[in-house]
Amino acid sequence: MKKDIGTLMYNDIIIKNFTEPHNVGDLESADYEIEIGNPVCGDRIKVQLLVTDKVINKAVFRAWGCATSVATANIFCSSIAGEAYDNISQRQPLEIGQMLGELEPSQQHCVEILVELHQKLADTISSGVV
Amino acid sequence: MELHNALKKAGLDPVKVALSSVKQLYAMTESQLLEFKYSLIADAFQFHYSNNAFYRSACEDKHITPEVIKSADDLIKIPLIPINLYKANDSHKLLSKSLKSIELEMRSTGTSGIPSVSRRCSETVDNAILGIYAMYREFFEISKGAGLYLCPSNEEIPEMGMIKALNMMAGMLDTHQFMVKNESFAPEDALEQLARWENKFDRHIIGPPFLINRFIRYLKATNKKIKLDKNTLIITLGGWKRFSGEMLSRKEFNDECIEFLGVQQNQIRDIYALVESNVVAIDDEHGVKHVSPYIHFSVRDPKRLEQEVAIGEVGQLAILDPLSCSTPGFILTEDLVRLLPKKQGDLRSGQRVEYVMRLPESLEFGCCAVNLDKQLDDTEELHTETCPVIA
Repeated sequence: MKKDIGTLMYNDIIIKNFTEPHNVGDLESADYEIEIGNPVCGDRIKVQLLVTDKVINKAVFRAWGCATSVATANIFCSSIAGEAYDNISQRQPLEIGQMLGELEPSQQHCVEILVELHQKLADTISSGVV
Repeated sequence: MELHNALKKAGLDPVKVALSSVKQLYAMTESQLLEFKYSLIADAFQFHYSNNAFYRSACEDKHITPEVIKSADDLIKIPLIPINLYKANDSHKLLSKSLKSIELEMRSTGTSGIPSVSRRCSETVDNAILGIYAMYREFFEISKGAGLYLCPSNEEIPEMGMIKALNMMAGMLDTHQFMVKNESFAPEDALEQLARWENKFDRHIIGPPFLINRFIRYLKATNKKIKLDKNTLIITLGGWKRFSGEMLSRKEFNDECIEFLGVQQNQIRDIYALVESNVVAIDDEHGVKHVSPYIHFSVRDPKRLEQEVAIGEVGQLAILDPLSCSTPGFILTEDLVRLLPKKQGDLRSGQRVEYVMRLPESLEFGCCAVNLDKQLDDTEELHTETCPVIA
């Protein structure tokens, strides 16, 4: 009898953040909004932020795409909520990638998504564009 | 139900038996086949009702339990999942199994830009692969030849449903080449490849209709006509509508294949499939599309979804797919279709379908082929803008 364990496509970090995405939502009046998308695979993430004195008070998202990209959005929002932007900006790509845990090859693009979200955050706060 | 029960009693999985018996299922009487399909679907419904809290809650809201589904006539009572839920960011609720059991995630991206994501456990992957190959063998009988793929490989677009399904055919061929690379298609290269294979292999052209149409437009523009082989198949899947909304008529497409590719009508075969389902419906040699014999199509009145339309009338397609174990395979699509009656001399039982169009209300009017079509246009436009030669 074949055991239905698949090839363990998702690690526990991804499973938890995809099935319990507690940062999903919309803000009535966001201070900042960032959005990224991939036109080929269709993964798309929109993040809305409340910011005071460069502290991220609240971060919520809407995401469409593979489970890992949805989880990535949740992980990003969790990691920046309550944090000073100056601290967030110190994160390096390697550290950022590790936030997602070990990924399957087909999910590696989500590391790029997470790095891009951090870059977009930097660009958005620096420019002050909502 | 007798056959289903006998198989179970013998320790066999009725779904797996069905998947390996496509020809035999098509040879059943209509009533026998419908009865067997009912038993597969009822079993699947029981499973998802028991293992999917979201789906069970929806069923209970409609006062539907497995006990209500007593015969094929009751299949219409099975609650349907709107296909757009596969785009939702909380689509995990569709799962009847743990996310840990998921082996493969597939997607399709149409004009809305929002991907529809389906997740398959190992058992569902087994079923899907067996089902697709069985249908390919039933209708194409392919076991050799060269495949000119007028689409990207899965290496470029991993987990794209349409590409995956077409890619599976490559395993049955002697050789193949993907002619869309890095969002670019050079039809002259495709023509050269066909020439290299001439007299060495039966040559097949495989891809979305609009991408094959690009190749034909090149032949037309350069005043070229080619003669493919007597065993050639032109195999299409998806992409009957361009990103601009322009619809390519099936008749026009067929006529141009005949004129410019040198094939006969019976060599042009279209496949209907969805990433969210394990169904394939494939043209026979007469251009009639046969539905996988273990899957049931129910065509509903779009204004009264609880009612089916008569055979031959256009309605909204609902799919009852017992192959799906990770999510309930009971889907209300956004496709308008009609079921066709069996004609004299057609020996297969089961359902025949003709695709008509997407629901006018749908935000989607294509699958990932639409995006490929647009990307190729964008690439050509970029090349034109950067080309120093004035056109």
